[in-house]
Amino acid sequence: MTTGASEPLLALSNVNTFYGQAQVHFDLSITVGRGHIVCLLGGNASGKSTTMKIILGLVKPRSGDVTFDGASLLGLTTPQIVRRGIASVPEARRLFADMSVRENILMGAFVRNDRDAVAQDLDKMLTLFPKLGQRLSQRAGSLSGGEQQMVAMARALMSRPRMIVMDEPTMGLSPLYVDRVLELIRTINQEGVSVFMVEQNASLALEIAHEAYVLQTGKIVLSGPARALRDDPRIRDAYLGGSEAA
Amino acid sequence: MSSWLDYTINGLIVGNVYALVAVGLALIFGVSRLINFAQGSIYLVGAYIGWVAVVQLHTPLPLTIIVVAVAAAIVGLIIERFGLRPLQNSVRIAPLLATIGISFVLDQLVMLTFSPNPRALPSQLPDVRFQVGGGTIGPLDLLIAGVGLTSALLLFVFLRYSKLGWAVRATAQDRDAAMQMGVDVNHVNQAVFGIAAALGGVSGLLVGMYYNQIDTAMSLQATLKGVVAEVVGGAGNVPGAVIGSLLLGLVESYGVAVFGTSYRNLFAFLLLVIVLVLRPNGLFASARQAPPEPLTGTFIAPSRPVRIPRWALLVTAGVFAILPFFPVSFYVLQTLINAWLLGMLALSLTLVAGTVGQVSLGHAALLAIGAYTSALLSLTLSVPVGLAIIAGGLMSAALGTLLISPSFRLRGHYVSIATLAIGEIVSLVILNWESVTRGPIGISGIPPLSLFGYDLVSPTSIYWFSFVVLVVLALLQGRLLGSHLGRSFRAIRDDDIAARAYGLGLNRYKSLAFIFGGFAAGVSGGIAAHLYSYINHETFNTQQSILALTVVILGGLGNVVGAIVGAVALVGLPEVFRIAAEYRILIYGIVLLLLVRFRPQGLLGTI
Ligand SMILES: Nc1ncnc2c1ncn2[C@@H]1O[C@H](COP(=O)(O)OP(=O)(O)OP(=O)(O)O)[C@@H](O)[C@H]1O
Ligand SMILES: [Mg+2]
Repeated sequence: MTTGASEPLLALSNVNTFYGQAQVHFDLSITVGRGHIVCLLGGNASGKSTTMKIILGLVKPRSGDVTFDGASLLGLTTPQIVRRGIASVPEARRLFADMSVRENILMGAFVRNDRDAVAQDLDKMLTLFPKLGQRLSQRAGSLSGGEQQMVAMARALMSRPRMIVMDEPTMGLSPLYVDRVLELIRTINQEGVSVFMVEQNASLALEIAHEAYVLQTGKIVLSGPARALRDDPRIRDAYLGGSEAA
Repeated sequence: MSSWLDYTINGLIVGNVYALVAVGLALIFGVSRLINFAQGSIYLVGAYIGWVAVVQLHTPLPLTIIVVAVAAAIVGLIIERFGLRPLQNSVRIAPLLATIGISFVLDQLVMLTFSPNPRALPSQLPDVRFQVGGGTIGPLDLLIAGVGLTSALLLFVFLRYSKLGWAVRATAQDRDAAMQMGVDVNHVNQAVFGIAAALGGVSGLLVGMYYNQIDTAMSLQATLKGVVAEVVGGAGNVPGAVIGSLLLGLVESYGVAVFGTSYRNLFAFLLLVIVLVLRPNGLFASARQAPPEPLTGTFIAPSRPVRIPRWALLVTAGVFAILPFFPVSFYVLQTLINAWLLGMLALSLTLVAGTVGQVSLGHAALLAIGAYTSALLSLTLSVPVGLAIIAGGLMSAALGTLLISPSFRLRGHYVSIATLAIGEIVSLVILNWESVTRGPIGISGIPPLSLFGYDLVSPTSIYWFSFVVLVVLALLQGRLLGSHLGRSFRAIRDDDIAARAYGLGLNRYKSLAFIFGGFAAGVSGGIAAHLYSYINHETFNTQQSILALTVVILGGLGNVVGAIVGAVALVGLPEVFRIAAEYRILIYGIVLLLLVRFRPQGLLGTI
């Protein structure tokens, strides 16, 4: 395993994915640099969530490769991939609704065995997400959408990941919470965690991302540094084109 | 037994025993959305291991319980590892069918090892009873209550405080999300199967001691009772399963007190059907919960059916039609007559289960309705046999559809449970409705087959008669499948939500399928009644329902020719290889398992 600093942390190369007969990805290639925030934009049904599932091993591509830190993830199961250091904030949060907030956050540390350090990290989460402090013993399913998003992020951080993948973290949140979430993503990233996020809201995502890709019906139609894409007139067209195709 | 207190104690004790089975079912359903039909077989295995320990090894009671728990857990782990794990990526029906196959295999192995005769299982406890209020309680009651409470406590501690317990709960709530936390779902499955099996095995031991008798019929009963309790409590809900079990125990105990022993099971199944229809998520489910079964499309293995040229079908049919002109033995004709009768049942089931996707586990009830109708009409009202058989078919069509119609809104595994329960209800009504059905005595002296006044008693004439009926039914069904109606049926099976969105009235189509299927099965039952000349409430039992299902899967779900090929194969091959009768069910179970694992689309492919 070579870990040159210039080598990307995560790389999808020429990935083709199918659900039965239907092809969802066409020669998809994406890289996430170490310490970067990379954003995948695209309209409904363009294949964004499927990209997340490919990274996490929940769906396997028919061809192509996915490497993390230079090693292929294709032969690994989801739990094995998680143990390599990838945590996730799934689409629509997917908390364990009938477990308490504390249990949800601690589930994030499932792969760890260092009890004391886990307890310390829980305290750290409560300083990062102060609102969760009073909610610890509440059923996760009874929280508001924004609070659930906080729990999902805390849960993902608990595994001390090297990379977090997030599927539409701002979906369904009020503007206040959206800002808060973006802020947190930046904070997390500054602590050294690489971030790969899927978003529909291009302008928001491009504010915090280093690089971005635009996905349209399973093909990358545009990619580059976020700053450049922000000013690119095509981003609007490509992005809207993706929505129409859905 | 005298006072109400006694009945209450009895109800709670029996409920406790059910709870040990039901909790295991709930754990398994929770993490893998599977109704484990092999749970009762593990309970049976537990009872017999207990018998070996107590009677042959003379183990003391605490050791007996430990031996049974460990041995049963090992069986559970083996089932999970070799029976179910290979099916993880198969169609959704596969694990359900696999547990049915496994249960057949286990039950038969126990029967072959220990013989079907009941055995006494002494409890090793002093036979005294203490006065409590107006009733009495014995040491065994206390033991059962103690085991129940201890298990509940251990389970609670496990789920609440152990890492694996957390993984079990997380997986039950959201499997994908749990995997994304690094939970290895295989470990979780192993854990729940091991625990469920240990509890189930101990339950079998305790029941054996409670009634001081064990026999191989315990298995299916235990599965059924456990499923009832679990569904009443809410599938996958562990505390719900405990409460459902106690409730079931009490309902049965009071029911027996008022109506008598032969009604015991009727209450269980009525309770099940009522709960399924009114609250399919169980008594304690909150409204928030969606039914835990998002089922579309993937329930039946998709495949390209084998194309058989028309001339080949004609030639084959022709050969069978003229077969009696050749010097074949009566034995061969007899075997084929059985195959034709099973073929009619399979046609019915392949339509309902394959084409419309309602996997029925109670199809033998349709045979029973047809058989009783035809037998009683010809016997008591002297209706000509030919007409009586048709009336039997019509009665099966009408009554079967009526009975199943409240369950039309159920999907997937729930349909299977509902049909299983309805099948049991039919058999219990036949047992208890003595004034009409003659109850446990059964109906004897049923007139032989006849047509237009001519008795059909020679094997040749019976052969032709049943063959022609089968061919006519098959042609009708083939027509049906090619029509617009057939396409609508398949649309419902593949995606009932989309079908509804296109404006198909699901209930109407499901009714039509059950009417047609009910008729074919009823005719088969009617003919059988006149062939056997004696029938009772056990003539058409769950084993036949499962045999029919195996036939249908062997042939390819929905496949008309496949249903007949499957029937000939499953009836004929054991004869060809001269397999002794007691091994046949075992073979059927193994065939089912192999099919599910290696060829879920059957021989000729699903349609
Ligand atoms: N399990 C599945 N089986 C079959 N098809 C699927 C499955 N999951 C997704 N698809 C299809 O694959 C395509 C891409 O889905 P995906 O969820 O990746 O889109 P998305 O970009 O995340 O959309 P959205 O913005 O709505 O979340 C869609 O057409 C979807 O219907
Ligand atoms: Mg998505």
